[in-house]
Amino acid sequence: MLDHILLGFSAFGDPMIWAALVFGALMGYLIGAIPGLGPSLGVALLIPFTYGLDPVVSIVGLVALYAAAEYGGAISGVLINSPGTAAAVATAWDGYPLTKQGRASEALGVSILASGVGIFLSTAFLIATAVPLSEFALRFGPTEYFALALVGLSLVAGLSEGSPMKGAVAMGIGLALATIGLDVQTGVPRFTGGEPEFFEGLPLVPVLLGLYALSEVLIMIEDGPADKVRNTLLTGGMAAPFRLVGKLKVVILRSTVIGYIVGVIPGAGASIASFISYAVSKRFSKTPELFGKGAVEGVASSESANNSAVSGALAPLLALGIPGSATTAVLIGALNIHGIQPGPLLFTRNPEIPYTIFASLWIGVPVMVLIGLLGIRLWAQVANIPRPAIAAIVAGICFVGAYASENSMFPVWVMLACGIMGYVLRKMRFPLAPVILAMVLGEMMETNFRRALITARGDWTVFFTSPLTVVLLVVAALAFLLPGIAILRSLSRRVRRAQT
Amino acid sequence: MKFDTLRRSILAGAAMAAFLHVAPVAHAQETGWQPAGPVTFALHTRPGGGTDVFVRTLAQSLEPMIGQPVVINNLPGGGGAVQMANVRAAAPDGLTLGVNTVTHFTGMLTNLQGVFAPDDFAWIALSQVDPILFFAEINSDLNSMTDLVERARANEGQVNIGGFGPVGSMQNIAMEMLEGETGVTFNWVAFESTPDIIAAVLGGHVDVGVANLGPALSFFEAGRLKGLGVLGDERLDTLPEMQTWAEQGYDVDTSWLQVRGVFGPADMDPALQQQIADAIHQAMQAEAYQQYARASGVLDSDFGPQEYTEFVDGLMTLAEEQLQAAGLLGN
Repeated sequence: MLDHILLGFSAFGDPMIWAALVFGALMGYLIGAIPGLGPSLGVALLIPFTYGLDPVVSIVGLVALYAAAEYGGAISGVLINSPGTAAAVATAWDGYPLTKQGRASEALGVSILASGVGIFLSTAFLIATAVPLSEFALRFGPTEYFALALVGLSLVAGLSEGSPMKGAVAMGIGLALATIGLDVQTGVPRFTGGEPEFFEGLPLVPVLLGLYALSEVLIMIEDGPADKVRNTLLTGGMAAPFRLVGKLKVVILRSTVIGYIVGVIPGAGASIASFISYAVSKRFSKTPELFGKGAVEGVASSESANNSAVSGALAPLLALGIPGSATTAVLIGALNIHGIQPGPLLFTRNPEIPYTIFASLWIGVPVMVLIGLLGIRLWAQVANIPRPAIAAIVAGICFVGAYASENSMFPVWVMLACGIMGYVLRKMRFPLAPVILAMVLGEMMETNFRRALITARGDWTVFFTSPLTVVLLVVAALAFLLPGIAILRSLSRRVRRAQT
Repeated sequence: MKFDTLRRSILAGAAMAAFLHVAPVAHAQETGWQPAGPVTFALHTRPGGGTDVFVRTLAQSLEPMIGQPVVINNLPGGGGAVQMANVRAAAPDGLTLGVNTVTHFTGMLTNLQGVFAPDDFAWIALSQVDPILFFAEINSDLNSMTDLVERARANEGQVNIGGFGPVGSMQNIAMEMLEGETGVTFNWVAFESTPDIIAAVLGGHVDVGVANLGPALSFFEAGRLKGLGVLGDERLDTLPEMQTWAEQGYDVDTSWLQVRGVFGPADMDPALQQQIADAIHQAMQAEAYQQYARASGVLDSDFGPQEYTEFVDGLMTLAEEQLQAAGLLGN
């Protein structure tokens, strides 16, 4: 094994590999930061440029882009509350409040270092466990995926500020939106109004742009130009973010492990990884009340998880040829173009591919962190742009990002509608997090629920035949029950008060 | 080791193809198609999938031949509706073309019925045909299509078959054609990508999977999957031991294949259509394209406008019969 790792590092004797790594990291950093693009589109856009290159050089560039884009998504989330990717949504929950408090550079510093640590450690996990853990992940069938989605959804309970009832309503909205589109099993159109554009469901990118970014613009307009907190740079130069992260090492380590494991499971991915580790960090935090209002712990856990999920998603790809995320599915296409078919034999036939990827993930970390830290000074200035100007810029990004996501006007309308909905929900003090969580998980939950019942010919006991499923279901039930009891208690209190 | 021979035959095939087609490539500039500006290929998928890789590889060898840039325009959404609307509205000057799969035909019969019809378009060239095959996990008791049918007969249809797309999709219709032929029923489990199907078969969550050869090949080579039968006229060169359905006594129409073709707006000058088809077929002979096509296990087709239009008519009739039989057509 050691000789293979050395083989991986030896590829870096070629200056072309370095060029690909730096170029990929820079591109990913920018593509991730632009809402509407994101890692899978970024990798796909770069593929044509790799035609003439050596396969190893191309794959190093593409993987560097993937990892850096997963980090870049945090930048726009922190600065303007419009996460570039679904996986950065949880980062924005605390990152944007930090920016509003004048602590943007702190949030950005923590996010880049947490991302770096996440990738660095999870790459070690990847080298050690790619094959056995991927084989284990095959055990995830329809019932396990359903139960996992339910666990994810149960986290809503912990993420709803104040009223669990409002959290439940917001979750219901998200679940309802997730039912739009062609029925995955029967192909029957649901809630499409006969419009083919709705067949594939509501696209996630414009929904994110609308709910978070556009609704933020509307609130900025309402607040007017006054009372903006000026963002100050961290004092203490480059060392400052490192000191901060030193205090967060437990959070980062735990989130990295969660992110990696969730990343390995082919049907899950970076967004679910970041949601879960965010919720876990909140539960174990000494100051859970700060989450959602500007907790650096929140930023650190989301970012270390979504970046370690990159290594996680690479595990089933390299070990079995099964992509663990949308972006790794695109990577398969890239490898195909170079005549390499990832599969169970990749490690024996083309060991240079996986081992160079491992080496490039490690070597890429300092490159990515350096770009990120240097960028903070620049980005922090964005936070100081006067409010009317930033509102105009963000509104522009919403429109262009939505259009670019599918090259058509449909996502633009979706973005506008979601922007208005997001604004109304925020005005009525409904939390937005459960809406997004339910939209991401709703489809996974429904598809696998029905798939499980179809394979079992309608026999409900199928959900209790796998120990893995049962454990996940119990966890979900507990997480749901606790706030459920709180709702009942507050209701009965209200009834009692009405009686007296 | 049979898979060594398998790999060798792929390589030999690719080398042979490359050798045979050196001549046409060298004279590539002699194509009759001389577009006046950049040519746009509209796609119904996001970047990175099988169809996207096909067009991008083709574009690479097409560009120098026609002396114009080739732009790939990914227009996902609406089960192909966004792309088809874009192509239908374009001028028939050959500068806007679309790439289609069988989904376009099943769509025009079901969800997109009344929105689009084959006559709205010119069917210019067929590039790839890709037969489907049924497979099982290597340790499964099922070793052939006959085993599968017998299992279904004995258990009143309690065999789970995982394939791409909902009821009425290309692969589902193939299963239904087998049901019609044998009189047994199977249990269709819809998935949204081929890797998901393979993972479900490997994990034992479904009994049998359906796929085209390309994405499953490495699992056959690794000895993790075994083929039960291919729906085609002949056995696959790369998996010579797997019998066809017909060899096992199941007489199902073998023109039911996955296809990738090129289409344009209706009313395109037939001479222009022929020129475009020739240019595309010529570009497919380039070494890079051949290398990609052989590695992905697809077969080349040289159908021009006339043959392709007839082929589309045949596919539409076949699909309509099957969808009708399955009760998926409203009337």
